[in-house]
Amino acid sequence: MCKAAKSYVKFIDNISKATGEFAMFLVLGLMGILVYESITRTVFNRPHIWAVEISAFVMTAQYLIGGGYSLILRSHVRMDLFYHRLSERGQAIADVITFFPFTLFYLGLLLFGGIRGIQYALEFHQKSYTAWAPPMAPIKIIMVTGILLMLLQSIAEFIKSIATIRGEEIP
Amino acid sequence: MNYTLIGVSIFIAMLASLITGRQIFAVIGGVGCAFALALWGKGGSALAFQASFKLLNWYSLMTLPLFVYMGYMFSVSGIADDLYTMFHVWMGPVRGGLALGTIALQAVIAAMNGLSVAGMAIGSAIALPEMLKRKYDKVMITGVIQAGSSLGIMIPPSVVLVLYAMIARQPVGQLWLAGIFPGIMLAILFMIYIVIRCLIQKELGPALSKEERDRYSLKDKFKLLRASLLPILIIFFMSGLFFLGVTSLFESAAVGAAMTTLAALINKRLTWQNFNEVLRETLSVTCMFMWVIMAALAFGSIYDGLGAVHGLEKMFLSHGMAPWEVIAVMGLTYILLGMFLDDTAMLIIVAPLYVPLVIKLGFSPIWYGVLYTITCQIAYLTPPFGYNLFLMRAMAPKEITLADIYKSVWPFVMVMILGMILVMVFPDIALWLPTKYFVK
Repeated sequence: MCKAAKSYVKFIDNISKATGEFAMFLVLGLMGILVYESITRTVFNRPHIWAVEISAFVMTAQYLIGGGYSLILRSHVRMDLFYHRLSERGQAIADVITFFPFTLFYLGLLLFGGIRGIQYALEFHQKSYTAWAPPMAPIKIIMVTGILLMLLQSIAEFIKSIATIRGEEIP
Repeated sequence: MNYTLIGVSIFIAMLASLITGRQIFAVIGGVGCAFALALWGKGGSALAFQASFKLLNWYSLMTLPLFVYMGYMFSVSGIADDLYTMFHVWMGPVRGGLALGTIALQAVIAAMNGLSVAGMAIGSAIALPEMLKRKYDKVMITGVIQAGSSLGIMIPPSVVLVLYAMIARQPVGQLWLAGIFPGIMLAILFMIYIVIRCLIQKELGPALSKEERDRYSLKDKFKLLRASLLPILIIFFMSGLFFLGVTSLFESAAVGAAMTTLAALINKRLTWQNFNEVLRETLSVTCMFMWVIMAALAFGSIYDGLGAVHGLEKMFLSHGMAPWEVIAVMGLTYILLGMFLDDTAMLIIVAPLYVPLVIKLGFSPIWYGVLYTITCQIAYLTPPFGYNLFLMRAMAPKEITLADIYKSVWPFVMVMILGMILVMVFPDIALWLPTKYFVK
C-alpha cells in the first residue's frame, strides 16, 4: 500500500477512537439530565422546558459521533448466511465491491442532505417547534460532523479491505 | 408503472442486496436512497438526512441507550448474585429446581431490564457454572438460560415494545401492561416444561444433596429473602413510578440506570476498567440499533411516498381473505424477512404497513404488539439473527459446544410457539390488564 493510504488509515482510526471514547460518556450526560429533571419536576415541582430536548440532542450526538468508532468495534449486524462462509480474503473482496453502491452512496447522500440542512438552518435561522425553541443549526452541525466521521472511517475500512486482498497488513 | 410493482421490486432489490453481507444499515440506506433518487429525482436526495432528523423528535428512543447501559451495568453490579443464591437455596431441593430457579431469576431480571443482554450475561456467568457443577444436563440448561433471558423483551420495561409503540403510534404504558401476563405465562410454561422433562428423565436435573441442603438453616433461608429487597426497590422506582404516572418513560429509564450504577458502587463492583467496558458496549449496541433505525426510516419513507399502506390493504382485502388468514400471512412474511433482516429493521419497515391493516381488520394493535414481541423472542433464539445465540456462543464455557447451543433452543422455541397460540386464542392474557388500567 502507498504511504499516504497507510497514514490516512492510522490518522482516521485515531480520530475515531478518540471521538468514540468521548461519545461513550455522553450516555452519562443523558442519564444525568433526565434524573435531575425527574427530581426537580416531581419533588420540587419545577420542570424545565429544555430538559427533554437537550437530552434528545445528547443522545443523537452519541450515536452519530460514536458511529466511526462503532465501525472499528464491528458493532453492525450483517446478513451473514453466506458472508461468514467466505475466507478472510473473500470477505474483503465482498466488502470492496459492496462499499460503493451501499456504504459510500448512503453516507454520501446523508452528508449531502446534512450540509444542505445546515445551510437552510443558518440562512433562515431555523428554530425547533417546541416551547423552548432552540436554534437548529448547532445540533445539525454536530450530526453532520458525526456523519462525516462515519464516512471517513468507512473509507479507512475500505482501504483495510484492499490491504487484506493484497495480503498486506495495515496496523 | 404501477405502484404495487414498484413497491415489490424495491423489496426484492433490498433482499437481494442484503445477501452480499454488507452491514444491514448501509444496504437498507443505500437501496432506499437509490429508489428515492429514481422516483423523485433531486427531491429524493435529501430523504436520508430528513429521515434521521425525524429521529430527534422520537423522544422515547432515549430509553434505548439507557436500557442498554442499564443491562451491562446490571451484570457488573452484583445485584443478581444474592438473588441467585436466594433462588438456589430455596428451589434447589426440588428435582430440576436450579433450572426452575434460573427461570424465576431471569423473570425478575427481565423486570429490571429492557433487553436480553443482562439476563444472558448473568445466566451464563453465575447460573450456568453452578448447574454444571451439580450435573445438570448441559443442553437443557443452555436452553434454559437463552429462553429465560428472552423474557427481558416481554416483561416491562421492554425496548422492543417501546419501538413498536413508536412505529404503531400506541401508548407505551399500555403495551408494557399488556406484556406483564404473557411474560409471566411464558416463564410458567418454561417451568412446566422443565418439571415434566425432569420427571421423565431424572438424570437431567438432580436435586441438591442432603449435605448441601443442610448448609443453610431455616433462619438463614429467611435471611436470604432480603436479596429481593433491592430488586423490588429498583422495579418500584423505575416501572412503578412510570405506571403511576409520576415519571415519564425516559425519565424512568434514566432513574433505573442511575440506581443500578449506585448499586454497583455500593457493592464495590465498579472499577474504572469495567466502567469503561460498560460504556463501550453501550455505545457499540446503541450505534448498531440507531444506524439501522435511521436507515430503515429512510427506506420506509419511500413506502409512505408510494402510499403502500393502501396498496397493501387492497391486496389483502380484495382477495376476500379472512382476518385470521391475513394475520397468518403476516406471520409467514416475518419468518421469511427474518432470514434477511434483524428484527429492529424488520419492525421499522414492516410495522407501519401492517399495523393499520391489523386495526382495520378489527384486532387490537396492543395485542398485535405482544404477538410481535413473542416473534422477536423466537428470533432471538434462532439463526440467522439470534442475538441470544450470538451471546451464548461468546459467553458459554468450553464444555458447551456450538452443536449443544443450537440443539438446546428447539424445545423452548416450541414452548414459545405454544405461548403465542395461547395469546392468539385468549387475547385477554395480554389485554385484560391494559383494559383495566390506562397508562400513557
